[in-house]
Amino acid sequence: MIAVLALLAGVLLGLWLDPTVPAALQPYLPIAVVAALDAVFGGVRAKLDRIFDDKQFVVSFISNVLVAALIVYLGDQLGVGGQLSTGVVVVLGVRIFGNVAAIRRHLFRA
Amino acid sequence: MSDDQSRRGPRAFTPDFLTELFRNPLDPGYADAAARRAETGRPARSGWSVGPVGLVVIVLLGFLFAVAYRQTMAEEPGRAQARSGLVAQIKQRQGETDALSTRAEELREEVNRQREAALGGSRAARLRELEASTGLGRVRGDGVVVELADAPGGQDALGGADAGPAQVIYLDLQSVANDLWGAGAEAIAINGQRLTSTSTIRSAGQAILVDFRPVTGPYEVSAIGPGGMRERYEASGSALTMRQVAKVTGLSFAVRDADDLTLPAAPELRLRYAEPAVSPSVSSSGGDESSGSGTSPSPSGGGR
Repeated sequence: MIAVLALLAGVLLGLWLDPTVPAALQPYLPIAVVAALDAVFGGVRAKLDRIFDDKQFVVSFISNVLVAALIVYLGDQLGVGGQLSTGVVVVLGVRIFGNVAAIRRHLFRA
Repeated sequence: MSDDQSRRGPRAFTPDFLTELFRNPLDPGYADAAARRAETGRPARSGWSVGPVGLVVIVLLGFLFAVAYRQTMAEEPGRAQARSGLVAQIKQRQGETDALSTRAEELREEVNRQREAALGGSRAARLRELEASTGLGRVRGDGVVVELADAPGGQDALGGADAGPAQVIYLDLQSVANDLWGAGAEAIAINGQRLTSTSTIRSAGQAILVDFRPVTGPYEVSAIGPGGMRERYEASGSALTMRQVAKVTGLSFAVRDADDLTLPAAPELRLRYAEPAVSPSVSSSGGDESSGSGTSPSPSGGGR
């Protein structure tokens, strides 16, 4: 419950403060969102599996976002553009799907 | 499974990384942490509560989502705005270009009038003659109109782009224009665009450019010339070729006589390398009209 409230508080804070993202960071935003989604669904699934761990959640979130950003940056520098980040999206997407499927099994037994 | 891993030490990726990814999407760290907790005997947290650091991270997550949402929403109208702005700019520039070319036309007329007033008499007449034959002056007269049009396009899109209807290409227009010159034409215009001695007819992508201005079908090549021009043109290579092409592919090609054509003047001709020769040739004006011009493609008299 507290977690959901915290998430809502974050959303409201973001909408209220309405910060402008520096142009240099803009390409990283979509990938960061995907990485964060992966961390969230991983955390929820772990919770339902009763193996949730605070430290693991925090570390996985931060490292996911950082690695994703690093890969986008690397792709830019190497000149392969969006192709490396496609890889990130595919891997994280697969993980999100798998975790959501597990959550679904937990919640609906189906 | 987690026990296995913790005993084996550092977790090694199996060669089939993707299979592993599909089968077990959860971060293995959770399992490891749970095993560690089981060893130490600490109970897992109950319910939905999380520690303070976790809370901060969750707030951060929400913040990130909101910012990303805002960002995407903010970019969308920007893109649309840029697009419509560009369209508006194009329209405005086109309007400006039109206005300026009308103004240029007016000024050219004015210059001509002034020049005639200043020169007066035979010299002005000679200048007019030269302008008419080089394409810088508007001309009237009887002549021939050659009409070319693309074959009517039946089915398109699904038929594939390369199998489209037969089209008039720039080479057709070139050969028609050249053969009209050959048949004695003194002035030629394609879709109202006067040809001069330095005119180009070329293609750029799908478009045909006459003097770097696009012309679109149906094409109308008007030529002013002496009486028998049509017969001579009909016997020329391009007419025969085009008739054959038209029969085979469905292009339309027609030649007809036309009375009282008016061909516009070409835009200012700019010579970059040639310079007018000094005085003697100018002073010997009189006898034959267009011998000195050099740019006149067919120095035959009459038909004006």
